Amino acid sequence: MKKAIFILIGVAMIAGCKPSPQPINYGTDLCNHCQMTIVDRQHAGEAVTKKSKVYKFDAIECMVNYVNVHQEPEWAILLAGDYNRPGEMTDALAGSYLISKAIPSPMGAYLSAFASKEEAEKVQSEKGGEIYDWSQLLTKLHPGTPQ
Amino acid sequence: MRYFIIILLFFISGHSLARIIVVCKTCPVEGIGVAIQLAQEGDTILVKRGIYQEYDIKIDKCLTLIGQDWPVVEGGNQSEVFSITAPGVTMEGFQIQNTGASQSQERAGIRIKNTSDFRIRRNRLLNTYFGIYLEYSRDGIVEDNYIKGEAVSETTSGNAVHAWYCKQITVRGNSVYGHRDGIYFEFVDSSWISHNYSEANVRYGLHFMFSNDDRYFHNTFRHNGSGVAVMFSKRIDMIANHFEHNWGTAAYGLLLKEIYDASLRDNHFDRNTIGIFMEGAARINYENNTFSNNGITLKMMGGCIANHFKGNFFFSNTLDLVVEGNTNDNSFDGNYWSEYTGYDLNRDGVGDVPYRPVKLFAYVMHRCPESVVLLRSFFVDLLNLSEK
Repeated sequence: MKKAIFILIGVAMIAGCKPSPQPINYGTDLCNHCQMTIVDRQHAGEAVTKKSKVYKFDAIECMVNYVNVHQEPEWAILLAGDYNRPGEMTDALAGSYLISKAIPSPMGAYLSAFASKEEAEKVQSEKGGEIYDWSQLLTKLHPGTPQ
Repeated sequence: MRYFIIILLFFISGHSLARIIVVCKTCPVEGIGVAIQLAQEGDTILVKRGIYQEYDIKIDKCLTLIGQDWPVVEGGNQSEVFSITAPGVTMEGFQIQNTGASQSQERAGIRIKNTSDFRIRRNRLLNTYFGIYLEYSRDGIVEDNYIKGEAVSETTSGNAVHAWYCKQITVRGNSVYGHRDGIYFEFVDSSWISHNYSEANVRYGLHFMFSNDDRYFHNTFRHNGSGVAVMFSKRIDMIANHFEHNWGTAAYGLLLKEIYDASLRDNHFDRNTIGIFMEGAARINYENNTFSNNGITLKMMGGCIANHFKGNFFFSNTLDLVVEGNTNDNSFDGNYWSEYTGYDLNRDGVGDVPYRPVKLFAYVMHRCPESVVLLRSFFVDLLNLSEK
C-alpha cells in the first residue's frame, strides 16, 4: 500500500512537470521580448521551455526574435496566435505564416500565423504577400539576414 | 457708380462659386452621402440636427462639412463611417457612433487616407473601433475631439487616434478614453502632440513605434494600463506632461525601449508603480522633472548608456533607482532627493556627502520580488543604516 502511494506521488510529480502552455491574460501580461502589454488576440505568441517556464509575446515577430537570440533554454512548446481564430493558438512549428503589407502586426513585421497552408493561401489571395513556414521564418527575420 | 456695381457684381459672383448645401430631415437634401455627390470642389455642407443612419460615406472632394447642434451619424455596427481621400477637407461638429468591430477590417469613425491638409475639429466619436485613423497622410490637424470607446476591460478595440506613415501632423486638445491606446504613432515623423487628455485606455495613453523627430508636450496621461511607451524611436522631445496613477504589477508612467537622443523636461510623474522603465535607452537628458509618490521611480535595465539626470526633484518615492544589467556612463547631478539624510555644514545648498540612490535592498527586491513584504521593516532599516 505504502509503495503504491509513493508510486502515485511520483507519477503525479512527473505529470505535474510536463510543460504545458498557460492562457494569456490580454491587457495585463507583458511581452517577454519587448515589454509591451499583450492586447492583439490575432498576433500573440507563447513559448514554453522543457522546464515548464512560460514566455509570452505580444507579436509573433517578438517570439521569433527571442527564440533566434536565445538558443538556450530548450523549447518544448511554441505557439503562435491564429489569425483566423482570435484568442486561439496554433502550433508554431506546424503553422503557416503570411507576411503581407495589408495586415499590420504589433511590432511592424506584417506577420500573421495560420493553422494550415490552405488558410494562409486563402487570406493571401485576398490581401497579397508571401507565405513562409517556421524554419524559413527564422532565417527571414534573423538579425543578420538581409531582408 | 457703374464701376462700383461692376466690382460688387464681381464679388457676388466670386462668392457664389462656393455653395452651401444644407442637409436636414425636411430639406431637399436629406442625406450626407447625397449632399457629397451633389457638391463640387470647395463647397460647404451644413448638416443640421438629427440622426443620420449612414455609413461608408466617402469624401473624395475638397469640402467643408459642418455639423450644427451635433447631428448624429449612426454607423449601426455595420461599417466604417467617414473616409476622407481628398486634400483640404474640414470636418467639424459631428457625433459619430457605433462602427462595430470586424476581424479582417480595421473600422474607423473617420479614416483619412493618402491625403493632406485635413482638419478634423471638435467632433465626438462614441463607441467606434478606431476613432480617427490616419494613414499615408501629411500636414493635417486633429484637434479638440472627444473620443470614447467602450473597451474598459475588453481588448477587442482599436486606438482612439491612430496614425500610420504620416508626416507633420498635429494632434491637439483631444480627450481620449477607453480605447486600446489613446494616441498611437507608427512610422510618424516630425509631428506634434499637445494638450491632450488620455484616460482609462487598456494599453497605453500614448504609444510611439518607429517614429522620429516628434514632440509631445502639456498632455495628461492618467489611469491607463501604462502611461506612455516610446519604442524604437529617435529624437523625441517630451515636455511638461503629467504621468499619473498608472498602477498595476507591470504598469509604468513611461516606458523607454530602444530610444536614442531624446529629452525629458518639466514632466511630472505622480503615483505610478514604476515611474520610468528604461531598456536600451541612450543619450537622453532628464531635466527639471518631478517624481513623487511612485513605487520604483527609475528602473534601468540593460543597454542604458549616457542618460543624464540634472536638477530633478525626487519626492516621497518608495525606491529611487533600481539598476540591472550593464548600464554605464549615466550621470546624476544636482537633483533633489527627499530620502537624503546628510548635512549641509558649509551651507552651499548642496549636501556634503553625495546621495546614493541605489540601495542594497532594491537589489534584493529585484532578485526576489516577494521580499517586498519586508519593506519598511526594522530589518530593512538596519540594512539601509549599515549601508551608510
